[in-house]
Amino acid sequence: METAFGITGKGYVLIASDTTAVHSIVKVKTDVDKIKELSPFLLMATSGEPGDTVQFAEYIERNIRLYHIRNNFPLRPPSAASWIRRSLADSLRSRKPYSVNLLLGGYDVSTYKPHLYWMDYLGTLAEVPFAAHGYGSYFTLSLLDKYHDPEATVEEGLATLKRCIDEVSKRLVVSPDRFKVKIVDKDGVREIEV
Amino acid sequence: MSGSYDRALTVFSPDGHLFQVEYASEAVRRGTCAVGLRGKDVVVLGVEKKSILQLQDPRTVRKVAMLDDHICIAFAGLTADGRVLIDKARIECQSHRLTVEDPVTVEYITRHIATIQQKYTQSGGVRPFGIATLIVGFDPHDTKPKLYQTEPGGIYSEWKANAIGRSSKTVREFLEKNHKDDLSRDDAIKLTVKSLLEVVQTGAKNIEISVMESYGKITSLDLPQIEAIVQEIEREKEAEAERKRTRLAAAAAGQAAMSQRADTPAQ
Amino acid sequence: MSIMQYNGGSVIAMVGKDCVAIASDLRLGVQSLSITSDFEKVFPVTDRLFIGLPGLATDVTTLREQFRYRVNMYTIKEEREIEPQTFAQLVSSTLYERRFGPYFIEPVIAGMQKTPAGGYAPFIAATDLIGCLNFAKDFVVAGTASEKLFGVAEGLWEPDMEAEDLFETISQTLLNAVDRDAFSGWGAVVHLITKDQVITRKLKGRMD
Repeated sequence: METAFGITGKGYVLIASDTTAVHSIVKVKTDVDKIKELSPFLLMATSGEPGDTVQFAEYIERNIRLYHIRNNFPLRPPSAASWIRRSLADSLRSRKPYSVNLLLGGYDVSTYKPHLYWMDYLGTLAEVPFAAHGYGSYFTLSLLDKYHDPEATVEEGLATLKRCIDEVSKRLVVSPDRFKVKIVDKDGVREIEV
Repeated sequence: MSGSYDRALTVFSPDGHLFQVEYASEAVRRGTCAVGLRGKDVVVLGVEKKSILQLQDPRTVRKVAMLDDHICIAFAGLTADGRVLIDKARIECQSHRLTVEDPVTVEYITRHIATIQQKYTQSGGVRPFGIATLIVGFDPHDTKPKLYQTEPGGIYSEWKANAIGRSSKTVREFLEKNHKDDLSRDDAIKLTVKSLLEVVQTGAKNIEISVMESYGKITSLDLPQIEAIVQEIEREKEAEAERKRTRLAAAAAGQAAMSQRADTPAQ
Repeated sequence: MSIMQYNGGSVIAMVGKDCVAIASDLRLGVQSLSITSDFEKVFPVTDRLFIGLPGLATDVTTLREQFRYRVNMYTIKEEREIEPQTFAQLVSSTLYERRFGPYFIEPVIAGMQKTPAGGYAPFIAATDLIGCLNFAKDFVVAGTASEKLFGVAEGLWEPDMEAEDLFETISQTLLNAVDRDAFSGWGAVVHLITKDQVITRKLKGRMD
C-alpha cells in the first residue's frame, strides 16, 4: 500500500517512496517514480488519488521552474512549501479539490540547512525532522521517534531509512516490494540505490 | 496630418495603413540594435547595450532573456513592452510542457509571440507592442540551430542571419555580404561582433553576446572575451588597410615607372 | 468525529491586573496520530495584541496569513496600529464572510487596549467559527480541550492577578486541562502581555 517517508540528517534530506501503481486489487506497475525533482535542490514525494498526484506534481513543477526562469534564482524551500500549501488550501475549497498528500524535502543553499515538510491534501503544513504518509506511517513514525538523529551522516541516515523500509515490508499487510530513495544535499538532488 | 486614423484605436486609414502599427515599427527602429546569426551548429545573439550609468546595476539592464532551457530572445524597441511579452512567452513555455510534456519548438514559441503581437493590433483599448524580437534556440531532439524574427504587426519569419533596431538595414546589408553557411562557433561570434561594430561606435563595452551551442547550452560572453574579439577584428582591418595601402603604392609606383619609361626616348 | 477535532489543539486567554495572557498547546495531529509537537497556534498581531487560532490546521495557516495581510493593509492605510477592539471586529467580519462555507477555527484574541485616558486596559475576546463575538471579563477558551479548560479555569481564576500570578494560573489551567484531552497537549506556549512588554515562555508537558 502507498507509503512515503522522509528524514533529515546533517546537511541532507532523504525521501523514500513506494513504486507501485495500484488499480483496485491489482498491481499495475512496480517502477513508478513518485518523487519529483522540482528544482536543483527540491524533492517532492506525492501520494493520494492517482490522477491528482501526477497532475498536481507537474503543475507545481512547472510553476517552480517558471519562478526560476523569471527571477534567475530558484524558490527556497520554506517559500516553496508555503506556496504549495496555499495551492492545496485554495484547491480544497474549490469545485474539485486535489486529493494529494506530500512530503517536501529541500536544501537551502543560502543558509546551508536541510528542510523537510509534511503536508496533506487539506493544506496542513508542518516542518518536521522526519515524516511519513500512508499506512506505513503507523510503523515508521514510532520507529523514527527512537532512531532518528538530526546530526546523522548519510550512511547512518540510510541505515535508519532501511529499518523503516524493513519494518513496513514486515508488518504491512500488502507491503510494497520496492522503494525508491532520493537525497537532496549541498550537491543537489539524486537517486540512491538501497 | 493623418486625420483621425492615428488615434487610440488601431483602424485602417483609407489607403490601407495601420498607423499605430507603423508607429510601433518606428519605436523598433529607434531601439538599440540586435543581431542574430546562425552557424553550423551554433546560434549567436548580439545586442547593442545602452551605456550603463555610473551608479546603475548592470545586471538589471539586460536585453537578452531566456524563455526556457533551450530558447533565448533578444528584442529591439520599448524595453517595458519587451518585459511583458517575454513573461507571456515564459508562461507559455512552461504551460506547453505541462500540457503535452514536451518543450516548445522554436517555431512554436515564435508563432505564439507573433500571435500575441497580432492580437494587440486588432483588439480594442490596447496598443501594439513597440518591439521586434529575434528568437534563437534548438528544437528538442534536433541539432540544427534556429533563428526567427517577429515584428510588431505579428509577422514572423525564419532567417540565417538578421538584425533589428537602430541601423538594422546597414547591419543586414553587411550580413548579406559576409554571411556564409556552416560558420564555426568562433567565426559566427566574430561575424556577429563585426556586424554590430558597423553601428556601435563605442566598441566592446556596449556589446552583449550570447551563444547557444546545443540544446540547453547557453553561454554569455564577458567583457574581456568581447574585447579580445574586437581587438582581433581591428587588427585584421588594420592589416587589410595596410595591404591596400602597399598595393596602392605598388600600383602607383608601377604606373610611375611605366610613364617614366614612356617619357624616356628610346636610345 | 467533527472536523473541529481533526487536528486537535486548544487555546486559552485570561485577564489579570494590567495584563493579559494567552496560551496554547503545541500538538498537531491527524485524528489520534500525532505529527509534530511544535505547531504554534498563537500569533502576534501587534506589539500588544495576539490571536490564537485553534481548529483545522490548514485554516490556522490560511487565516494567519489572511489576518497578517489585512492588518498590514490597515496599518498602511490608517498609519497607526490596529487596536484589539477593532481587530476583534475584523476577525468577526472575516469569518462571517464565509458564513456558508466557514473556516473551521474558533479564534481567541488577547491584547492591551488603549483607553481614552491614555493608559492600557486588558482585552480578551473569542468568536465561534462564523464570527459571533464573545467579550469576556475573566477568561475565554477554545479548542478540543475547551470543556476541561472551562472547568479548571473556573476553579483557578480570580480577579486582579499580578503578571506572575496570571502566568502561573494560565499555565496550570492549560497543562491540567490538556492532560485530560487526547487531542491537545505535547507542550505549550504562553504569552504574557503587559502594557510595555510581552514575555513568551515555552512549557514542557506530558508527551503521551
